[in-house]
Amino acid sequence: MGLMTAIRDIRTIKRLLTGAETEARAAGEAVPGPEHLLLSAAELPDGTAGRALAAVDTDVAALRAAVTAVHDDALTGLGLDAGPAPALAAPATGPLRTSPQAQQVFQRAVELSRSATPAGLRGAHVVAAAAELERGTAARALRRLGIERDQVLAAARVEGGVPA
Amino acid sequence: MVDLPPVPAPEDPEAALAAVVALRRLAARLETEAVTEAVEQGWTWAQIGEALGISAQAAHKKLAAEVRARRGR
Repeated sequence: MGLMTAIRDIRTIKRLLTGAETEARAAGEAVPGPEHLLLSAAELPDGTAGRALAAVDTDVAALRAAVTAVHDDALTGLGLDAGPAPALAAPATGPLRTSPQAQQVFQRAVELSRSATPAGLRGAHVVAAAAELERGTAARALRRLGIERDQVLAAARVEGGVPA
Repeated sequence: MVDLPPVPAPEDPEAALAAVVALRRLAARLETEAVTEAVEQGWTWAQIGEALGISAQAAHKKLAAEVRARRGR
């Protein structure tokens, strides 16, 4: 990997993780999960994640709403209506903690980026890695939008320049 | 006799586990709101820890920053 690619990757990782933390805290959660990485990836400036989502007729706003709806639906199923979760008020401090599944998605995205052309980590690699998860909130949110994981995976691989 | 809310069918573990995730989020939210209110009412962290079944230090470490931020709004 070239030096410029490595520097670009560090910037991408910083943006991705900071964005995931912001998404989680806005939803009242201290620890980001795969769904927050997915939302953060969709807003990375490289634009590949956004284009992969557009290819399956969705966008970051719809995905964010679907994540919220997944939790709301689960509570409604129990006869509970809690209303929207308030954002965490305290600023994030200390080292970022993520869920084990978010770590898995991140590591898989880095792995996919190594086989990508051009080289370098991009949002689409995160989308592809998140779409590989069969269960959990991210998978349920995609399903709620009527999107097949395989479709997202294929679109993200194309956008990310990852061989099928 | 307490009427329990309808729970996801046990033959659908995915829905049941999604409900667990949503309940965990709700419990964390309720805990923060209740502890913020307790601090407002002058409870000590030792009293809060006792009520939650955890140590005062654990309660403080987990919630003090968020409670402080909410009270400072």
